[in-house]
Amino acid sequence: MREIITKPFTGMEDEALICGRCGYCRSACPVYNVVGWESATPRGKIAKAKEIFSQGKQTELSAEFVQRMAQCTLCGACAQECSTGIDTRKMWLELRKRIAALGREPKAYKALRDNLQEKKNISNFSNDERLEWAQDLDDPAVLKPRAGAAVGYFVGCVSSFFPQAAQVPLAIAEIFSKAGVDFTSLGGEEWCCGFPLISTGFVDEARQFIRHNVDKIRQLGIHTLVASCPSCYSVWKEDSREALQGYDLEILHTTEYLVRLIKEGRLSLQEIPETVTYHDPCDLGRTSGIYDAPREIIRSIPGVRFVELPHHREQALCCGGGGTLQSVDAALAAKIARLRAGEIRSVGATVVVSACQQCEQMLTAAVREAKMPVRVLDVSQLVLEAMD
Amino acid sequence: MEKLKQQFGVRATDSLFECGFYSRDMAPVPSLLVDPLFNTRPDIVVRPVDAVETAGILKTAFADNIPITPRAGASTVYFNSVPVKGGIVIDLNLIAGIEDIDEAAMTVTVRAGTTWLELEKYLNPLGFALKSFPSSAPAASIGGWFSMMGYGIGSIKYGSLLSQVQSIEVILPTGECRWLTNDTKPPLAWFAASEGTLGIITRLTLEIRRLSSMKHFLLAFTDVGEMRRALESIINAPVVPYNLHFADKRYALAMQSLGFSPSDTASSCTLGIDYEGSRAELDIVQNMIIRLFGDDRTIRLFPEEEARREWTGKFNALRLKRGGPSVLGGEIWLPVKTLPGYLADIKKKADCYGLDLISYGHVVTRERAAVMTLFYTNETRIGSYILDLAMVKKIHDVGYRHGGWPYGVGLWNTPYLGRIFTLPYLNELRLRKQMLDGRGIMNPGKLYRAPFFLNPVSFAVGMGTLAAVRRITGRSGRR
Repeated sequence: MREIITKPFTGMEDEALICGRCGYCRSACPVYNVVGWESATPRGKIAKAKEIFSQGKQTELSAEFVQRMAQCTLCGACAQECSTGIDTRKMWLELRKRIAALGREPKAYKALRDNLQEKKNISNFSNDERLEWAQDLDDPAVLKPRAGAAVGYFVGCVSSFFPQAAQVPLAIAEIFSKAGVDFTSLGGEEWCCGFPLISTGFVDEARQFIRHNVDKIRQLGIHTLVASCPSCYSVWKEDSREALQGYDLEILHTTEYLVRLIKEGRLSLQEIPETVTYHDPCDLGRTSGIYDAPREIIRSIPGVRFVELPHHREQALCCGGGGTLQSVDAALAAKIARLRAGEIRSVGATVVVSACQQCEQMLTAAVREAKMPVRVLDVSQLVLEAMD
Repeated sequence: MEKLKQQFGVRATDSLFECGFYSRDMAPVPSLLVDPLFNTRPDIVVRPVDAVETAGILKTAFADNIPITPRAGASTVYFNSVPVKGGIVIDLNLIAGIEDIDEAAMTVTVRAGTTWLELEKYLNPLGFALKSFPSSAPAASIGGWFSMMGYGIGSIKYGSLLSQVQSIEVILPTGECRWLTNDTKPPLAWFAASEGTLGIITRLTLEIRRLSSMKHFLLAFTDVGEMRRALESIINAPVVPYNLHFADKRYALAMQSLGFSPSDTASSCTLGIDYEGSRAELDIVQNMIIRLFGDDRTIRLFPEEEARREWTGKFNALRLKRGGPSVLGGEIWLPVKTLPGYLADIKKKADCYGLDLISYGHVVTRERAAVMTLFYTNETRIGSYILDLAMVKKIHDVGYRHGGWPYGVGLWNTPYLGRIFTLPYLNELRLRKQMLDGRGIMNPGKLYRAPFFLNPVSFAVGMGTLAAVRRITGRSGRR
């Protein structure tokens, strides 16, 4: 079940005026908790945005403010706490759009946009190599684009091109095969979902990517799409609505689909004697309202002792990897991940499970740095372990 | 300043960009009014991590006569934590965390920059709870609320924060670090409501209670007189409520139009009553409420689910701002018995000036309530907005006529000092200031006397003129 708090967004200028500067957002903001300066608080950024955009002082759009706007993981924790009900995540996206429209975006954002336009993915690899990871499957051809398949697996750029994340699509493909799911992928015709462009302010450019992916899904006649990346999922679910108009497409995150398979008795899960905790990815939890599905999966595995992290569900801490923060301030992102690693240590988990390949990369680096005896797994990897 | 920069490294800044963020609190006062009169931008902001570092900053400031402004949550509206003479802002947010719980003594020792909500979240899983906390608990710091008047949720049952604090660690303006109790010289009571003008509090030991069950009630009245009678019945009943909050019809209507309240509270005054205690006590309370109000057909008793929702939203009165975009208003420390008269006069004032005045508040002692009366405006329409500022004084004037005065002083309420304190008490406060901060470096410009531009006579003339212009022209920020 999706549990999203929907908030009205009356436009950036109006919402900036509505902000009461109460500071409830401060304690929740992972960036402020690391940076510590008032300019890094959501209320501080809104106050400055008010000056610049609501009060027409665009000359005050300084490099420092642009930097603060880029130092945000778009985790949405501030929106959760806002006493005046501002959808601050939408606010940050709109401000990044305004900054890009003025040509003042960080250089890293421009480089990311140019790379996406050239390669159609966030890596330096050719998009034709999208299914390179699938070579490790018994039957790589199973992923070859095929019309009329029951399920289309939208792999996402991180899973497709980053070797550290390749175990995730491999696990999903193997689970689907074992469960007898009739599935396919878009192969080299899968383009980036567009989220990196939306999150850096290039919304118009993102539309081209969204339209392309929707067209390919339509051409293959796919009516159930499963995405393993929460950002891809949220773009499909929310930002692709217009392009999908008139086409019947069920959009699921892998956690939702795996729960379905478990409930249908299509997955046989064996005992795993581990203490497992779950890290809620921001784009799956706060943005998309999916909290229960991953927990149901973990709890359905015999032998697992499930423990919650101190901050979980709506109050979950970000891993630091969201909002394209790594491209502008990788050190800050790593410091945020350390905060989460501290929470993982505090509950004594032997396995931390998540459902986002970016979160898993951030947490893996953080627990490794802290020399913690903890394995970081995607929920699909945990399921596959239980099936073996 | 250079010495501080070198000493604190990345935890000190004199960047114009950064310092600008420390030149405001929650009050939306136009730069046009503030900048010509006050230097609200600090010269440097420093973030110490403990009492020792704080003491070091104060020693430097004391030696060079540099103004110091302490700041943590900055969740007030009177510029209490905004400098008016530049200088050093000490950002206390790193002095946070819980140090010790003494279960035998039922106390907790906590660092001053911790927020009230963080402390409550820490205590609850251990089976403890705060005796009282501010309605801005997610942002307000422990030290900050102690430095204000310290009345809020839970105060009607457990008293002011001052009555719950057993000791404080404070850095005096000279940089001397002291632990103060009620028996020391100076006593800790001097620092309660001193608004950071006598020193910087870095640690507090305060009383806690056992976590207990709660029961919530929400009543609606068609008439404010009935609400007052109900309030008195509740206040004088044998079981004291933990929280007692009320709202006028305009509040209910505004919340309902914004989708935050049940539709059937519109055109009603509401009274939320929250009890905590043992199961047996809560059973008594349930019977008492039914006995008091169950048979009265003019009073609506809402299902407990609605009452619980009111309790859950206790930190979110600012949701009202969605109907704005801006709000102005005053918070009045009002006798409970004059509440109906106050609300009636507020309505008259609203009609007279074409204002939509919304009132709500908490009963925080058996005799007093903290009442917020506010109205919508639009700060982007500068001329009209300045005329609207005059209405804030009109609200305070109504409060004064009914035995009330502003809750908190800071900078903006200094014109009302004569209403807030008796002259002997004000002189006593000034004497304390002279004794502890003879050089006047601690949070200067606040609390003790109005600056020239805010002296009561010229302030009254200025605001009166603006109010007259507003009345004649019919201009307001909202329109």
